[in-house]
Amino acid sequence: MRHYLDLVSISAREHKRQNKMTRLCIVLAVFLVTVIFGMADMEMRSQMLQAVRSDGSWHAGFVANEEQGAILAARPEVKRIARYGALNYYRQDGYQIEGEETLICGFDPELLEMFPAVELLEGELPLEKQQAAVSETVRRRLGVQVGDTLTLTAPGGEALSYEITGITRDTALLAEKDALGISLSMEGFEALPREDAKAQEELYYVTFRSFTNIQRTIREIQGQLGLGEDEVRQNAKVLMLLFQSRDSYLMQFYFVAVVLAVLVLVAGVLMITASMNSSIARRTEFFGMLRCLGATRGQVIRFVRKEALGWCRQAIPLGVLGGSVVVWGLCALLRFLSPGLFEGLPVFGVSYMAILAGILVGLITVLLAARAPARRAAQVSPLTAVSGNGGSVQPAGRAANTKIFKVDVALGIHYASGSKRNFFLVSGSFAFSIILFLAFSTAVDFMHHALTPLQPWAPDVYAYSKEQKNLIPRGIREKIKDCPGVKRVFGRGFGELAVTTEEGEETLILLSYDEQQFAWAGDSLIEGKLEDVIAGKGILLAFREESILAGRDRLSVRREGNAQELLVCGILENIPYYSEAGGAAGVAICSEELFSRLTGETGYGVLDIQMEGNAGDQQVEEVRRRVEEACGEGISFSDKRIGNREARGAGYSMALFLYGFLAVIGLISFFNMVNSIAMSVSARMREYGAMRAIGMGTDQLIRMVLGETLTYTVFGVLFGCVAGIPLNRKLFTSLVTSRWGEAWRLPVGELVMMAGIVLAAVCLAVLGPARQIRRMTVVDTIGAE
Amino acid sequence: MEIVRVENLCKTYGKGEARVEALKQVSFSMNRGEFGAVVGESGSGKSTLLNCMGGLDKADGGKVFLNGRDLFAMGEKERTVFRRQNVGFIFQSFHLIPELTVEQNMIFPLLLDYKKPDQERVEELLEVLGLENRRRHLPGQLSGGQQQRVAIGRALMARPALVLADEPTGNLDSRNSQDVLELLCQASRRYQQTVLMITHNMNLTAVADRVFRVTDGMLCELGGERS
Repeated sequence: MRHYLDLVSISAREHKRQNKMTRLCIVLAVFLVTVIFGMADMEMRSQMLQAVRSDGSWHAGFVANEEQGAILAARPEVKRIARYGALNYYRQDGYQIEGEETLICGFDPELLEMFPAVELLEGELPLEKQQAAVSETVRRRLGVQVGDTLTLTAPGGEALSYEITGITRDTALLAEKDALGISLSMEGFEALPREDAKAQEELYYVTFRSFTNIQRTIREIQGQLGLGEDEVRQNAKVLMLLFQSRDSYLMQFYFVAVVLAVLVLVAGVLMITASMNSSIARRTEFFGMLRCLGATRGQVIRFVRKEALGWCRQAIPLGVLGGSVVVWGLCALLRFLSPGLFEGLPVFGVSYMAILAGILVGLITVLLAARAPARRAAQVSPLTAVSGNGGSVQPAGRAANTKIFKVDVALGIHYASGSKRNFFLVSGSFAFSIILFLAFSTAVDFMHHALTPLQPWAPDVYAYSKEQKNLIPRGIREKIKDCPGVKRVFGRGFGELAVTTEEGEETLILLSYDEQQFAWAGDSLIEGKLEDVIAGKGILLAFREESILAGRDRLSVRREGNAQELLVCGILENIPYYSEAGGAAGVAICSEELFSRLTGETGYGVLDIQMEGNAGDQQVEEVRRRVEEACGEGISFSDKRIGNREARGAGYSMALFLYGFLAVIGLISFFNMVNSIAMSVSARMREYGAMRAIGMGTDQLIRMVLGETLTYTVFGVLFGCVAGIPLNRKLFTSLVTSRWGEAWRLPVGELVMMAGIVLAAVCLAVLGPARQIRRMTVVDTIGAE
Repeated sequence: MEIVRVENLCKTYGKGEARVEALKQVSFSMNRGEFGAVVGESGSGKSTLLNCMGGLDKADGGKVFLNGRDLFAMGEKERTVFRRQNVGFIFQSFHLIPELTVEQNMIFPLLLDYKKPDQERVEELLEVLGLENRRRHLPGQLSGGQQQRVAIGRALMARPALVLADEPTGNLDSRNSQDVLELLCQASRRYQQTVLMITHNMNLTAVADRVFRVTDGMLCELGGERS
């Protein structure tokens, strides 16, 4: 030992267990902060990836002419600018290729950098006036290749010829509508004959440089170019993720994010402070002794700082690393679940924000919390310390109440509540776990509302008759089922019946279900028997509030002069189709056999096909070929795979991160409770030894620890609920009620879950110290120190 | 009447070169109401003897009979209950419970048995100890001498047959030491409790009935005022 600060390592060896627990607590707190911030960061990145993929990376779009475009391009904030124009978006303006309405767009090549979804599969983009790139659908349906010539007929009848220079990947919209689409150079696009002036409008898509105040810049540009509100577009999702949106709903969203971030930081600070406070008595005594031996206040502070930094040196990197590993795991899981969508997400992504937050919370809290015993020690007069009285009995503020509780429990309660500061810190850290849990659970409610989940019955591809007739033969199901890559095939027939009600004759929409759809319908059956409907005995009615058909056992229906009675066998809460049903009195569901009897039709109006996860375009093409072969010309196709993939991806990523948040909070709460109690017990082992010497049994000591644990827990849960429930309400109102109108309800499920975690933590919290107490040798314990 | 009998008590600490024989075949007995003092160098084995006699520590060999019951033949739980009812401990550093008042500390062994204390006995002891006005005080509000008096009161409250005091005056000045000694004498004379006290101060052995010396783990009796 060459320097007085060498005592730090010697003291650390002596208090190995206590120091280990202090370090564990710092690790947990840093881990919590790093994981939550890291996950939030990664979720933002994944949402950004999806937003860019579906909507593009542009920030704002301006309807402007060439001159205004030049002014725009000259602005210093503008990083990238590209022109874009679209025609026949709704496929009704008369621009046709081989008699079919075609969506036309023109853009500068720079636009591709802003729209990664527009992918060139083959060839090049058109640069000349007479060149065009066509979509996959055009290539497939018209059998054209790069180098061929294509003729577009304008609404006025002019025929325009284009040389095909490239093939672009179908966008989600083109695939879903099975629409033809061609891309022209901007020059070619401007040369198209148009019928109305508004169609002349072109958009300048702009990406601004980093650190630009986008909202202010947009306002300036609007003023400079004299543009109205409807002449400016904003990429809401991307701007939101850049924290650059001023949308009032998003402002509430940011408010929630800030509240959650602050809560996480406070929880981390509380956890560390509470743990360090539990050894404050021992440390105060030790620092008091140092002061008596002649250490100046400054020397004690330096000692404290070195000791604290020693803990941080090991604990903070561990917490940061642990947190980062969890985030990596989640990112890897996301890439595994949805490889196409999240390949841009880094597996070993480093979230500097999370690491910085973890380090700051760890370092600053530890340094500040560690000073408290030193400050207290500095206040002890050296005389008191030298006389030996200073350290023999740690003064208590008031006596334990042995009248209401038995002495062991009374002492346990007193240990928990005796020191206001300690009580506040420990039960406060417990409470914060509950508050965090309740606060973050509102984000899950938000997710359930914001993301329309991909229902089990959602098709990847569907075929439908163009004229809403049941043209698809039922037998096709078997043929398609055999196609490679097909998972499920199911179809529905549509028909209309006249139903007699008190108000006269109304329309009843009738759908035929096959076995698969009946199986899914079983989950939403409110009353009645599904078997009777499957057997063709009657119909199911879709529930609708204040329906004129409600409460009826039988319906009198009529079709083409044939009247008959239909038995209502059950009510379904909801159905995926015809949810509004237009002006009809209701929607009824029946078996295929009954449907044929009632309508005389034996086909499907819609055939839904779900593909296997690994099915590719070729398999979909084969399905399409077989359907077309069986049904002929009157059938249209819709490929929803891109949209489904995006919806599924958004769902996966948000669910993974939000449930991840909750799991981490639950886990950290659990370990924090266990560790806090273990530390408290460990700090009192000497007193426990004395009590054992006086005659206290181990069971009584364990009851005492249980009393202490339950006191912290009961008050922690109480504080947590008192603060957490109103916060839950506030956040729910901001996130959900303000947008979807759903009223807040007491989060019973979350409370029950948290109660389970707390109970498990209490059991484990007592178990560890109980083992320690049982192993304790009285003589060694009272003789220690 | 024999209260405590120690037979061939052995206790060893450590292994190999660090092996220390703290007690070597120690045997002796004490009768009801006897006041014994144990003297010896630091590390001679005095505290080990007291801890083994009180059942705080287990011996490697030998037996301790208290009121005719073999302490080491009992299970842990039974020994704990037997100890708190039959042995009173007084420590050099008092070991009071800071969260309990003077009165609560004194009745603590009874509370551990979930028994209601005899209020007359409490009043009597508080008076004998001179703590009537301090009954509601917490240990942190007392002087060292007062704290040790509380510890003595706690040791005597359950009327144990044997009171073991490990250097009870070690942390006290001469005036307080004298007070403590008088109280222990009273326990022996007035309440007929057997008291065995470790001390470094030979002057304090003057009041003892018997004086034992422990040297390198071996016990010999030096005699005493009454012997």
